[in-house]
Amino acid sequence: MVASTVAALVPLVGIVELARILLPAASGSAVDAERAWVVVWVSVAALLVRLATVLGSSWLSHVADLDLSIHLRRRLVARLGRVPLAWFTERNSGTVKKAVQDDVAALHHLVAHSVMELTAAITMPVVVAVYLFVVSPPLALVTLVPLALGVVGFRISMRGAGALYRDYDAGLAELAAATVENTGGIAEIKTFGATGRAHQRLAEVAVRFGGFNRAWMRHSALGMLLMELALTPALTLVLVLGAGVWMLRVSWITGPDLVPFLVLGLAMTAPVTVAGYAARELREATEAARRIQRLLAEPELPEPDDLGPVPGSARVEFQSVSFAYSPGSPAVLRDVDLVLEPGTVTALVGHSGSGKSTLAKLLPRFADPVAGRITIGGVDLREMTSAQLYAQVSFVFQDTGLLRTSIRDNIRLAHPEAPDADVRRVAEAAQISGRIEELARGYDSVVGEDAQLSGGERQRVAIARALLSDTPILVLDEATAAADPESEALVQRALSRLVAGRTLLVIAHRLSTVTAADQIVVLDEGRVAERGTHAELLARGGRYARLWAADQRAHPVDGWADDRAEEESA
Amino acid sequence: MISIVRLLAALVDRPHRRQLARVVALFVTTGVLQGLAFACVVPVLDAALRQDWDAATTWLSVLLGLFVAHHVALTIGNLDGYDLACDLLDITLARLGEHTVRLPLGWYDRDRTGQLSRMASKGATDIASVPGHLLRPLIAAVVSPVTVVVAMAFWEWRLALALLVGVCAVLAATRLLAVIVGRGEGAYDAAMAEGSARVVEFALNQPALRVFGRTVHGNELVEAALREQKRASRRLLVTGFGGLGIQLLSIQALLTVVIALAVHLSLGGTLAPAAAIGLLVLTVRFVESLIDYGELSSALRIAEGSLQRVLDVLAVPPLPEPAAPGTPVGSGIELSGVGFSYDGETRVLDGVSLTAPPRSLTAVVGPSGSGKSTLLRLVARFHDVTDGSVRLGGVDVRDLGTEALMQRVSIVFQDVYLFEGTLRENVVMSRPDASEEELREAARLARVDDIVERLPHGWQTRIGEAGSTLSGGEKQRVSIARALLKDAPVVLLDEATAALDAENEAAVQSALTALAADRTVIVIAHRLQTVVAADQVVVLDGGRIVERGSHEELLARGGRYLDFWRERTQAEGWRLLEPPQSPERRETHGA
Repeated sequence: MVASTVAALVPLVGIVELARILLPAASGSAVDAERAWVVVWVSVAALLVRLATVLGSSWLSHVADLDLSIHLRRRLVARLGRVPLAWFTERNSGTVKKAVQDDVAALHHLVAHSVMELTAAITMPVVVAVYLFVVSPPLALVTLVPLALGVVGFRISMRGAGALYRDYDAGLAELAAATVENTGGIAEIKTFGATGRAHQRLAEVAVRFGGFNRAWMRHSALGMLLMELALTPALTLVLVLGAGVWMLRVSWITGPDLVPFLVLGLAMTAPVTVAGYAARELREATEAARRIQRLLAEPELPEPDDLGPVPGSARVEFQSVSFAYSPGSPAVLRDVDLVLEPGTVTALVGHSGSGKSTLAKLLPRFADPVAGRITIGGVDLREMTSAQLYAQVSFVFQDTGLLRTSIRDNIRLAHPEAPDADVRRVAEAAQISGRIEELARGYDSVVGEDAQLSGGERQRVAIARALLSDTPILVLDEATAAADPESEALVQRALSRLVAGRTLLVIAHRLSTVTAADQIVVLDEGRVAERGTHAELLARGGRYARLWAADQRAHPVDGWADDRAEEESA
Repeated sequence: MISIVRLLAALVDRPHRRQLARVVALFVTTGVLQGLAFACVVPVLDAALRQDWDAATTWLSVLLGLFVAHHVALTIGNLDGYDLACDLLDITLARLGEHTVRLPLGWYDRDRTGQLSRMASKGATDIASVPGHLLRPLIAAVVSPVTVVVAMAFWEWRLALALLVGVCAVLAATRLLAVIVGRGEGAYDAAMAEGSARVVEFALNQPALRVFGRTVHGNELVEAALREQKRASRRLLVTGFGGLGIQLLSIQALLTVVIALAVHLSLGGTLAPAAAIGLLVLTVRFVESLIDYGELSSALRIAEGSLQRVLDVLAVPPLPEPAAPGTPVGSGIELSGVGFSYDGETRVLDGVSLTAPPRSLTAVVGPSGSGKSTLLRLVARFHDVTDGSVRLGGVDVRDLGTEALMQRVSIVFQDVYLFEGTLRENVVMSRPDASEEELREAARLARVDDIVERLPHGWQTRIGEAGSTLSGGEKQRVSIARALLKDAPVVLLDEATAALDAENEAAVQSALTALAADRTVIVIAHRLQTVVAADQVVVLDGGRIVERGSHEELLARGGRYLDFWRERTQAEGWRLLEPPQSPERRETHGA
């Protein structure tokens, strides 16, 4: 980089040398033509060196940037694969994308440009200043005046910039949020006649941000203007020529001495301007680096390094399990004790917010209990590696989790080497093989591209996947069956095939689907309120009996018709 | 440079266009004055080296005059530019806000949210930075070298000619660079988009990926996308460096040629040595301007991109509003021969005619992709029909005007949008002047009172993304409460498909019953209760109505509707677990 700066200066110094050689001719002396041409050729050589060094150093830093980028992205992705799942529910996927893609890209400037540009911004003026001071100290001092003024201007314009930048970022975020709301909720805004008000709110945010921007501009305008006025080459030109001609006249300097100030002195302010541009990008890159650092420091869901003890059976036990989403927040589960005997069906029922989904999600270790423990065959989930755990437990939720890859690879996600015959067999059992074979590329069709699947079809592919993974324990959200009314029956048939013979934990919404469960557990505010079989619980006449009655009322086929008739006659 | 000014001019109103012209004129003036100031180097140096102090003083005075004029123009131009920058930010935001609110609802799809929020934040500030920071150096980098060449031609036409030829070469090289990089950028953008999509997919599907063991041993899809991203970046780098090398080489070659030419002319005695040196000083300035231009061009491209995207949105035609809105009589809805196509090719709806008399319930059923949602969207005028017409109370919705139409229609969507704010604000948004009593009544009917009771701060609980979250059923009840409070005569309803627990199911059911009473309702029906209660059922398939009639009539006909009905009743009676005596219960599956 320094070599490049020096090489950049050589042709300029060459012009100065030419001045020293050629100018005597003006007063009639002989000119050393040979030396003049040597200077020309040295300049040409320096230009080539400059070209090579600029491209070379820039290439090296860009390649380093590429390596760093993919390394960081890999590390970020790996970290994301190990943070507790709750981490994702608190953030949207946009945040994740921003961290892995945009923030790493923002580092590009820091790695590939800023360092070089700042080096140039510092080396260049220093080398030039030293050279100029050697030629003529007084004129060198004059040349430095604009630079000093520029720095003063910069300082003035940046008064309180730290706080202002923060306000600016906050204003931008507010603006983006208001736009998101006005776009995402536009249909509601229009149909509920809130167009004027919502639009007004966005306009207010925009006006506020505009006002802030104007105030900041006013606040920094003077400094920026001073900087511009000082750093335009015109000022240096006037100062150097004026002072130079006067010094020439009083014989402080010789004619050729003036030339380097015109050639090099004018170039001194340019890197400062570049540094000004780089500063903003540097600031963004630093922020991005901080966010990346924070993400890489996220705690992982702890996992043993070595293979733990092997579960003896598929018997699942929840022992005094309590759970809260974050320390200090109210407990979602309190002291839950529950045993799932191998091959039995346990249904979780309760109001929304009773904790039934949370309880079910602890089994595939979406989160760890804050107190108590969950064991499979006597082994604590936390003592198993994920490979061990997920050889035992699988789940089917409403969210299908299909990837944009071939249907075959989606089905054999758990066993990428599974033979085609197995893939076909589970697809058939999941009632989806017919639909897949209708597709032009069959099992090679890519989900979301040439396989446009409806909700129920996606569910059935997910069920095929769970069938292939064939774990002894299965967690199921019963609502999966009803997520797509158009193919509800097929999904139901597929589910019936899937659950047969497994230790099943099912989150039940419609009680009628699970009346045959081996045990039904009624949760209320995170506690087990009742447990027993359907018949036992009905006989008890408690909470379950009331839920059952409500369920029966909600599902009669002619309910609404009656209600409507009543309303109309009323 | 000219194109960015033209784009800016397209964005602003006439007074600001004048201001823009003024700022540009001032910056061009400063560029010319700066070029002339540089040109003064030659006579000043010539005179000083000849020790002709009178001439030197004269030229120095000229230089000083040019300098003062330059700084005055620069000051005015910059202050005007800062001012214009602030105005531009306001104008961009205001125009975007005013325009997008008039666009058809159909224009808004899922991608718009991110696109518009980027446009309103980063895009708008990029645009504002053009007159504030970019325009001055950009214009100077072009105008001042041109001035220098013209001035130089007076002194030594051969050098000026060499510079001119050099400039053309450099510009050609820059253009080549842009083309090459542009070609690489397409592939690079595609690779980055793919990488982003994979990362998002990875984040969204964490549960499945973990359970099926695809996070621990690396995820092939993400890894492949990242590798491709790196490959594309590297290719872009190689082509970019090739172009950059040519560009730099041509600039440096220009400098070399001019130095050699000056030495040659000077040694040959046709060019005074002092003038030669002065001209070389000018050449150095000239070359530096070209380099400046190269450095500014990427900022220029970003700003142009932002401007173009904003202008593209502003160019989307708003929904036409009638000059004299018609007055509907009653709340009946009539579709006659309605055809619609999103892309101008495939028909989503074709020849759909349908009459929904006032205060009747029309249920629409059909497979996904049959055009059910589109039908509902056309009634609410998310889009205008391609053929035929949609009438409300006898008036074409296009002659009714958005405001009048929206006053008469309530829509309850599957996906309910909750705004940042309190529960109360979210309900009363449909009628801010509603009395407390009316609010309580709507809440009671929609069973929102249960939710109010459950939430820690009741009506004042903050909901939306940043606040307490409501379950799907609860959100729908809030949406129904909004619609009840609004009390519009027409209700368009997309029944939620998601399964609700008994409690929510019953609550939503009673809320819908309250909403449907006394109103004209068109509903995309999923619940059996709904179709049974309907005055007429319409079966859509492939964008056409294939059957219509009451529930009993359609059942008796034994067509498409009967299949639908059978499948749905069978599904309703499903048991995940058959009673123990059934043999199927203990069937061991094959896997």
